[in-house]
Amino acid sequence: MKNFRLAPYLLNLPLVILSLIFIAGIVNGLLQSFGLIPDLGLYEFTFKYYLEIFKRPDLLGSIGLSLYISLVSSLLAAVFGVLLSLLIVMTGKAKGLTMNIVKIPIIIPHIVVAFFVIAIFSQNGLLARLMYSLGLISSQTDFPALLYTDNAFGIILAYLWKEIPFVAFFVITIMANISSTLGEAARNLGASQWQTFWHVTLPLCLPSIKNAFLIVFAFSLGAYELPYLLGATMPKALPVQAYIEYMHPDLLHRPYAMALNGIMFFVSLFIVVLYYRLLQQNIRKVNGSE
Amino acid sequence: MNTRGIIVGKILLACFALTVLIPIVVILVWSFAARWPWPILLPHSFSLRGLQEIFGGYSGALQVLGSSIVLSLIVALLAVLIGTMTARSLVFYNFYGKKLIELGTILPIIIPSTVFAMGVHVLFIRFGLADNVVGVIIVHLICALPYTIKIMTDVTAAFGGKLEEQASVLGASPLQILKEITLPCLLPGIISSACMAYIISFSQYFLTLIIGGGNVKTFAVMMVPYLQSGDRTIASAYSLVFICSALLVFVIFEKTAKRFTKNGSNYFFV
Amino acid sequence: MKKLYKISVLVLIVLLALSGCSQSSAPNSAQFDENADFDTLVDQARGTTVTFYGWGGDELRNKWLDTTVSQHLKEKYDITLKRVPMDIDQILAKLAGEKQAGTEQGTIDMIWINGENFYSAKQNGFLYGPFTHKLPNFAKYIDQDSPENIYDFGYPIEGYEAPYGKAQVVLVNDSAVTPETPRNTQELLEFVKKYPGKVTYPALPDFTGSAFVRNIIYDIVGYEQFVDMPADKETVKKAIEPALEYLRQLNPYLWNQGKTFPATIGQVENMFADGELVLYMSYEPYVAATRIANGLFKDTVRSFLFDKGTIGNTNYIAVAQNAPNKAGALVVINEIMSPEIQASLYGELKSLPVVDYNKLDEQQKELFDSVDIGPGSIPQDELLAKRLPEMPAHLIPIIEEIWLEEVVGK
Repeated sequence: MKNFRLAPYLLNLPLVILSLIFIAGIVNGLLQSFGLIPDLGLYEFTFKYYLEIFKRPDLLGSIGLSLYISLVSSLLAAVFGVLLSLLIVMTGKAKGLTMNIVKIPIIIPHIVVAFFVIAIFSQNGLLARLMYSLGLISSQTDFPALLYTDNAFGIILAYLWKEIPFVAFFVITIMANISSTLGEAARNLGASQWQTFWHVTLPLCLPSIKNAFLIVFAFSLGAYELPYLLGATMPKALPVQAYIEYMHPDLLHRPYAMALNGIMFFVSLFIVVLYYRLLQQNIRKVNGSE
Repeated sequence: MNTRGIIVGKILLACFALTVLIPIVVILVWSFAARWPWPILLPHSFSLRGLQEIFGGYSGALQVLGSSIVLSLIVALLAVLIGTMTARSLVFYNFYGKKLIELGTILPIIIPSTVFAMGVHVLFIRFGLADNVVGVIIVHLICALPYTIKIMTDVTAAFGGKLEEQASVLGASPLQILKEITLPCLLPGIISSACMAYIISFSQYFLTLIIGGGNVKTFAVMMVPYLQSGDRTIASAYSLVFICSALLVFVIFEKTAKRFTKNGSNYFFV
Repeated sequence: MKKLYKISVLVLIVLLALSGCSQSSAPNSAQFDENADFDTLVDQARGTTVTFYGWGGDELRNKWLDTTVSQHLKEKYDITLKRVPMDIDQILAKLAGEKQAGTEQGTIDMIWINGENFYSAKQNGFLYGPFTHKLPNFAKYIDQDSPENIYDFGYPIEGYEAPYGKAQVVLVNDSAVTPETPRNTQELLEFVKKYPGKVTYPALPDFTGSAFVRNIIYDIVGYEQFVDMPADKETVKKAIEPALEYLRQLNPYLWNQGKTFPATIGQVENMFADGELVLYMSYEPYVAATRIANGLFKDTVRSFLFDKGTIGNTNYIAVAQNAPNKAGALVVINEIMSPEIQASLYGELKSLPVVDYNKLDEQQKELFDSVDIGPGSIPQDELLAKRLPEMPAHLIPIIEEIWLEEVVGK
């Protein structure tokens, strides 16, 4: 079957068709950011929306905040996600109840996560009430303001709650497989548990880990719900700005929203390409050689 | 692993389980709570509003839940199928445009669904794909594919092609290879991708509204306005039903897959 | 491969079946006659389905529409009302896309809309109209001369939308916790000094937060000057400067010292219900009554107004240009303006009715008089007496921008 030369092209056909649809959507979106929205009577190609946005003093602050949130939450998620996977595989719990618990955060929509982060960690939340009932604090304002802060603690916490299980979910599929086959082989040859993990399992899981990191990073760059609900009023993360512009009742404001989205897209694309260049993403087979 | 290590490991896992389950309990309690003011640790008063809204029949929530589940199941099935096919081509072949496809699969994650939805809406109207289920399935599929492709690529790469080659050399037919070797080995990845694709489709709100035009009513479409409004009782009730139904579907995925492996393979199921 | 083939065929069949399921049976608007009289429209609408698109986050309203109103329409006209939850921005986006694609029959019949969104939709040709002159109840029960029925946030309505309900800003607090009711900005300043860290308002551009700030502006510099103010940032800034100064004065005593504000009115409501805040503001005039009934607020909660008045507006229903069932839409809209439904809107939904009390007969007046609006509420005549008009919509985004620059964290 592998000698059938058309095979890869046929296999990719559905994806290509769907990708074309997707690209048509993006192109249209980009055109809108340049002021071409025929159904609203805008026929002139222009850079003015982009220029207006670049003139905003808070733009750099927004980009910086978005990058900060995404970088910190994704890195921490990758590290702790891998540790969680390790924990699960090593204690032999890569199935059943434990895995179902890992899946729960993946199921829960971001808005709901924001809801219970507030319910637990706000100055009025369960943690504060617990401390109050233990006599450690005497009023709501005694409890530290953890949310809506400049360091985006609440946002990062919420992302971590969702993303650590996500990374684990992603990686366990591979890790359990390797651990049972090659890992066992290594241990039979005399390697210790730690050596096996560090020199065999982890390097082989690296592509998965990188993939998971990339996904959570790219996602958090473009997602608005958590920074919107848990973030400080100023500066706003870039996707929140885009969302607010998009909700503007005057439809002629649409190009602004699209231009902000365009900027967001180019920033993300730049980082993704950088990522691929730096880390030389290669898809290699594990049990065979190429 | 030595016994002490295992005990420490289990304790850590239990801590993790708590961090996941405590918020769920909060949501559960809020589904029935009316007022829960400072500083009490349990709600002050309770209310059945949330239950009434969902099970009371006048909102149609349960019927919508049923049809949403079917829709997302279809998306999951298609996403896994296409993901597996694409992964296979990426791992086993070299062809023109390979790098492009690798890069391209991450795009739907980077680009917010608002941009994509607005951009593709008119196109869909012209092709008759707007305001109906087929269009919605297609856009959900586009969002779910990056995840299924990435998972299936990793799993296919880990699985390798040696076993298939050997079986082929030994005279097995392509169908036999598919049934006895490829599918069982890929199964953990297939289940993971199916779960991922299902939840992505089930949670979609904006795309379903723009492309579905209000004609396609999914559970998320009914739930999200309540989440945004801040009515905690109703939002929690809806969230609870959302979570439980998704978990149920995941468990069904797993059980169905288990029936397909006859002699209990070595590979862990997730 | 055969298995794959079988599976794909199965999937295709299910897909086709599902796509068949989702088609709603909409009657042809091709039969809609522009000049038909109302009774003909009622006949045409009999047995049809009318879709009503609007925000779906208000449980009480959804329930009211799904039960009381739907039942009434079914019994009286044999019309099935299909409520579709969708945000107004998505509704407008959908209509924009359909206009560009030239879709003659969409899926939206009635739209719950007002303000700048209405203006956008009307300017871009998304709405059908003028139609209110066709509706008997509009002439019978609506005060044609009231500015709120001629202008919507300063934009001329010209018959393109019909009044649905009224809103008005009220302030709310718990008499058991805060006995004071600040009735002007001076008293409000004293109030926040007495309860530091326990008052705030949602960050603009949240709709209610924006209204609260505008109310403060009205209280300090009056509202007349804004009626025909040009949409120029410098002009507006100069006009509202005293209010900005006041808001900055408030900041140090606000929640989080005014460095950050909650993103949504929902968050503020929850914080108030939990006791984290001691003041709440809402566009729903009877919010105290409804929340007490739901058990969300304590029964000692009450509402009050500024002495100089609070902002009120009307919300409306419009008809989409490419509505598939225009006849049905007009019949339903007409019925919503009827005293029976408006009394139910007042009594069940606790929203201000749009019918002119003076145009009602004795029996109909009784429908309204017998409504017990609930605890903690302000009587309707007091609300209407202290009601200030909305600013022209084009000024509002400017004010929101200025607020972000000049007040947050200052």
